[in-house]
Amino acid sequence: MAFHGAWAIIQAATPLEGEDQYLVTLAVASQDTTAFGELIRRHQSQVRNFLRKLAADPSEADDLAQEAFLHAWDKLQTYSGRGSFIGWLLKVAYTTFLQSKRKSKRYAEVLDEAGYVAQLESRSYTQNSDEVSDLDKLLAVLTQEERAVMVMSYACGLSHREIGEATGLPVGTVKSVIFRGKEKIRKSFDIKDHQHG
Amino acid sequence: MTSKIINMAEKLKDAEDRLLESMFQSEQIADDGFSHRVVTHVRRRLWIQRLALPVAMLIGGAIAIKPITQLVIAASKLLTVVPQSVRDVPMDWIPQMQSVAFGATLTQTVVLGAMLLAAGVLGMRMLVE
Repeated sequence: MAFHGAWAIIQAATPLEGEDQYLVTLAVASQDTTAFGELIRRHQSQVRNFLRKLAADPSEADDLAQEAFLHAWDKLQTYSGRGSFIGWLLKVAYTTFLQSKRKSKRYAEVLDEAGYVAQLESRSYTQNSDEVSDLDKLLAVLTQEERAVMVMSYACGLSHREIGEATGLPVGTVKSVIFRGKEKIRKSFDIKDHQHG
Repeated sequence: MTSKIINMAEKLKDAEDRLLESMFQSEQIADDGFSHRVVTHVRRRLWIQRLALPVAMLIGGAIAIKPITQLVIAASKLLTVVPQSVRDVPMDWIPQMQSVAFGATLTQTVVLGAMLLAAGVLGMRMLVE
C-alpha cells in the first residue's frame, strides 16, 4: 500500500514526455538544442508580446527576446520546475529588458556628457499618433514597473505569486501595483463608461 | 489552505478585470524563423565553448614550446654549474612523503606532477570561466 503511494508520488513528480519540464530536463541533461527549440516555439509569442508592450519598438523587442532566450539557455539549470516555465521565462525576459534599459541610459548619459543630444532616452513610450492603439494609450499612463506587472497579470495570465517571483517584488506589493495601475487606467479612460458603451 | 483561499480570491475576477484582460490580449506572433535563429545562435555558442579550450591549449603550447625548451636546456646546463654539495642535499624536504616506501626521486616526481596537475586544472578552470 505504502509502495503504491510512493509510486504515485514518483509518477506525479516525473515530468511527462512533451511537457515543458520534460523538455527542460532534456535540454539541460544532454544540451539538447532541439528540445530547447521546441520550448522557444511554444513560448516565443508570449515573450515577444510581453517585450513589445514594454519596449514599444517591435524590432527592439524582438532583439531583446532573442537575447532573453539566450540568457534562458545559459540559466536553464536554475529552473527548479516549481512555477510555470513561462513565468520563469518572463522573469528572464524582464531582467534582460531592465539590463538593456540600464545600458541605454548609461549610453545616453555618456552622450550627454560628451555634449550630444541624447535621443535614446527621449524615445519614450510614444509612437506616431496615427499608429497609437488603445492599448498603447493605456500603457502610456503606467510606469515601467506597473506596465510590466499589469502585462504579466492581464496579458500573460500569471498569478500574483508568479509575478512576484518574476519581478522580485513581494506578493503584497504586486497586488498594490496592480491596484494602482487599475486606478490610473480608471481615472484616465473612465473604464466604467467604456464597459457600458 | 491559506494559499488555496488566495488563489480562489485571485480567480474571482470582476467585470473590470475581464475588460482589462480583453484590452491587454494580443494576437499570437508567428514564429517566422525566430526559434530557428535563436537555436542556431545557441548551437554556434556551444561549438565555440567546446572549441575554446583545445584551441587555447594549442595556441598556448605553440607559444610556450620555444621558451620551455630554452628553459629546460638552461636548467640542464645550470646543473653542471651547481656544486656537488648542493646536489647531494637530502630529499627529506617533503615531510609527508617520507613514510612512503618510494625512492626520493619518485616521490619528488609525484609531488611535482601533483603540483603541475593542480596548476593545470586551475588554469583550465580559469580558461573555461
